[in-house]
Amino acid sequence: MGLTMTSTASKVSALALFLVVAFVLVPWLIAVSGRSDLYYTLTSVALLSIASAGVWLTFFIGRINIGQGAYALLGGYVSAILVTAGGVSFWLSLPLAGLLCAGISVLIGLPILRLRGVYFAMVTLVLTEVARLAALAVPLTNGAKGITDIPPPGAIRLFGLTLLPDFATLANPRQAFYFVTVALMVLVFAGVYRLVHSRIGQLCLSLQQNEELASSIGVNVAALRIIAYAISSFLGGIGGAMFVAIAQSIYPSSFAVADSVNFMLNCFLGGLGYVMGPLVGTFVLYFGWDFLFRTGEFQLLIYSMVLIALMLVLPNGILSLFAPRRKES
Amino acid sequence: MIRKYSAVQSALIGASLLGLMATGAQAANTELKIGFVGVTSGPAAAWGTSNVRSMQTLAAQWNEAGGVKIGDRTYDIKIVTFDDQKDPKRAIAGMEKMAQEGIHYVVGPNVDDGAAAVRPVAEAKGIIYFPYAFPKALYTKPAANAVLGMVANYQSGPAIYKYLHDKRNVKTIAFVAANESDPLSQRDGGVAAANALGLQVVADKDTYQNDTRDFTPVLTPIVKLKPDLLVLSGVSPANAPLLIRAARELGYQGLLSTETAQDAKVLEEGAGELANGFISVGGASTPEIRSKAMDDFIARYTKMFGEYNDESNTKVYALQYIIDTLKANPKAIDDIAEYKKTIDGFSAPNPYVKGDKMLHYVGTTSFGQKRQLAVPLVVTEYKNGKFETLFVADVD
Amino acid sequence: MTQVIVNGLYLGAQYALIALGLTLIFALMNVLNFAHGQMYVFGGFITYTVYGQLHLPFVVALACSGVTLAIIGALFERFLFRTVIRRSVRDESTMLLAAGTAFFLDAVILLLFGEKQRGVPKIVNGVLNVDWLIIPYDKIIVGVIALVLIASFMAYMQFSRPGRAMRALAQDRVAAQLMGVNVDRYSMIGFALGAMLAGVVGGLLVAITGVNSGIGGPISIKAFLMVMIGGAGVVGGAIAGGFILGMLESVGLSVLHAYGDVTYLVIFAALMVFLSIRPNGLMGKPWG
Repeated sequence: MGLTMTSTASKVSALALFLVVAFVLVPWLIAVSGRSDLYYTLTSVALLSIASAGVWLTFFIGRINIGQGAYALLGGYVSAILVTAGGVSFWLSLPLAGLLCAGISVLIGLPILRLRGVYFAMVTLVLTEVARLAALAVPLTNGAKGITDIPPPGAIRLFGLTLLPDFATLANPRQAFYFVTVALMVLVFAGVYRLVHSRIGQLCLSLQQNEELASSIGVNVAALRIIAYAISSFLGGIGGAMFVAIAQSIYPSSFAVADSVNFMLNCFLGGLGYVMGPLVGTFVLYFGWDFLFRTGEFQLLIYSMVLIALMLVLPNGILSLFAPRRKES
Repeated sequence: MIRKYSAVQSALIGASLLGLMATGAQAANTELKIGFVGVTSGPAAAWGTSNVRSMQTLAAQWNEAGGVKIGDRTYDIKIVTFDDQKDPKRAIAGMEKMAQEGIHYVVGPNVDDGAAAVRPVAEAKGIIYFPYAFPKALYTKPAANAVLGMVANYQSGPAIYKYLHDKRNVKTIAFVAANESDPLSQRDGGVAAANALGLQVVADKDTYQNDTRDFTPVLTPIVKLKPDLLVLSGVSPANAPLLIRAARELGYQGLLSTETAQDAKVLEEGAGELANGFISVGGASTPEIRSKAMDDFIARYTKMFGEYNDESNTKVYALQYIIDTLKANPKAIDDIAEYKKTIDGFSAPNPYVKGDKMLHYVGTTSFGQKRQLAVPLVVTEYKNGKFETLFVADVD
Repeated sequence: MTQVIVNGLYLGAQYALIALGLTLIFALMNVLNFAHGQMYVFGGFITYTVYGQLHLPFVVALACSGVTLAIIGALFERFLFRTVIRRSVRDESTMLLAAGTAFFLDAVILLLFGEKQRGVPKIVNGVLNVDWLIIPYDKIIVGVIALVLIASFMAYMQFSRPGRAMRALAQDRVAAQLMGVNVDRYSMIGFALGAMLAGVVGGLLVAITGVNSGIGGPISIKAFLMVMIGGAGVVGGAIAGGFILGMLESVGLSVLHAYGDVTYLVIFAALMVFLSIRPNGLMGKPWG
């Protein structure tokens, strides 16, 4: 009992520390150094890590998901169409995009979640390409010309109280996007953490280890898989929708196979055994590329060598460095 | 050309540059940074690479000659590049980086989605950018910060089709495009132009994956239709020779054309004499029209990078325009409002073509405002390893 | 229609050869080699340099491609994959390593050979043109070489000592080890062989399609598709997958010609349906 209490306390304090860093320290540092471009970089990291968290969740049930780009694209289009054609507020379109992605992922997941290993990986990879081609072909999406000139998010008012200001009127919308996405990210990771440590999480873990065994002791394997995949796709959808609000445009190529692969790599790099893995992985991969911007034509070379070296030293992800050593099989 | 700094070094360099800019240059020239955000790796690397190298070549030429005099100061031009990997999300980050570096003039991005995605940043941070993307919304009001860096396909297409209709008796036309945004948009523009001219469009739906290596299956049904002209809409330089070869080997007898810039060496290696007669769009490439300055540029480029790329003929212009416009109004160096004011009346001699062609901004017909560089529309025909001028036209 | 079928067969032979090396590496080590396409491109550029630039015979160029890639493959296995497989908790972790090596090769290729599409002079000129079929002679030759290579690869796997050892390894790693198969040695040979195949195909196809530094990633993905259709880790499956995908493209592009925009959408959607119905491809072993 005492042990769990201290660990809960340490978790709360870690969360508090993170919040202070993200909402106070980082903006202060940016203001002092004048590096306002970091707002966008950090916002990207937050959004991509939300989508990666979804991929991580499918890893958690033992599936390699290279199809998150499809749901990010779908979520982006749903939000873009709702905002431009439907006149819906962006803040409403955001959860709607996620929910629609979750709904569609149930339909797609029913047949494909029976696949395992590389087969599931490949079928999801194809899904990304299918999403891109569908975006090109379906009339609703404006095809190859994409949807542009999407207005920035409006205000949220509740009983005359302005909860969030209209982004178009802000002097620094980048900062506002940063705050919103980081808040979203904290919620997402807290939610995933809660889920993983719940009873459902324990059951999911049993799937990862042995589906047949889990099934034989009465776990509803199919339902669990669908739930995890739907949550995963929900996260992909809101990540994509948020990006579209920042870029104020979406094209069929806005999320492509390369993105799907990157979401997966983020999880690997951070560590598949840790809830925070996708966050750390995204941060390192994205910042790594950005950081090497000065190296010009050698950017990719150095980046890939660092990646290989990291993998050699920490094959179980960066977080395995800090966590207690797992048993090696 | 090796730029390899540690973080500390680059921070120091950055800080000292800022210091220099603030206090004014003493002995050495001030540095003027011009940005590039575009794709220099992956399957479309050829587009951005020829872009970056054109800029670097021109900058090296000028800097060696003692710098560029703008107003009463002399500047060394420094090209800051960012590889967006053809990802619009990265392109935004690139534009943010440019703003952070204090850059107001950026060449790129190379594709439609990237050009649309960077617009909010460019407008918020006061950057004028020169995309190589054709969507009209980028250049039409209320958009104000983008200047089209080349001739758009909806401008060159009609001119080419009309010429071929009049001179080569083309009556039927077919289109084939990669199933991606840019080529498909260009195809739709081409089809509209062909219809307007009264040409009979026999195929306008055939698409291929951009990573296709064997084009025979795609082209088999089209070649059967025996069109007079087959347009490879928005074809990438890597795919052009493969498409040409596949069409010719299937026995296609008609004409082949595209509205994008190509490289003669690539065509020669990839399709050999089968590429003879292929019609594409160049800048000041062909020997008949290019000036001594263009020859020097090509020589310099070849020396710096080992091999010239004919695509650079259209890409030499953006940087030239930026600098010449700044010369015309030195106040624009850190104030893009001044730049926009200068655009309307700007005019300077075009150093790259023979005769008295002028550099000026165009685009009123297409965009309702001057948001396009007047690059000579040089339609070329490939013959035995070289491009020959078919005809020269002007936009607007 | 004959034309469409021959197009498909040629494309299939080309695809099958690309898929072979990938499936071999997968069968032996459960590594999905993301760098396969990059190895193919590397091989292509070596042939381009040796045959196109130095004007040595085409066969010599192919040999150079094969040998170089075999060495690269062996080094990758020995110093990268072996370490990571030994130390990682989950098998799939090698995917990140494979992706890292793919980026690395991409970068090296771009720096060494530039961004332009490259091609070499045709190995044979002329086109076979009868009233029911048009096909260039060089494609016939390359198609035949592809078939010969596929056949000799299968014979090697079937009858040679290393081939037998590798098949044992693919079936059951532990059992093979207990039977006295030197697992480390044959993993390395297998990886080298897979890489070599990629390099040789790359070199071979330079004569037809040229080579381009950016094409590696997409080629890898195409190869994955073929392997999945046929069934992962089975040589016969890779060959079947290659031919099926080639035929699917050729027939699909002709039949759906009028609806061009959706051809690939239909092809890929059909693939998803197929894999849902046959979760292990045509003849694959389940892996999960």
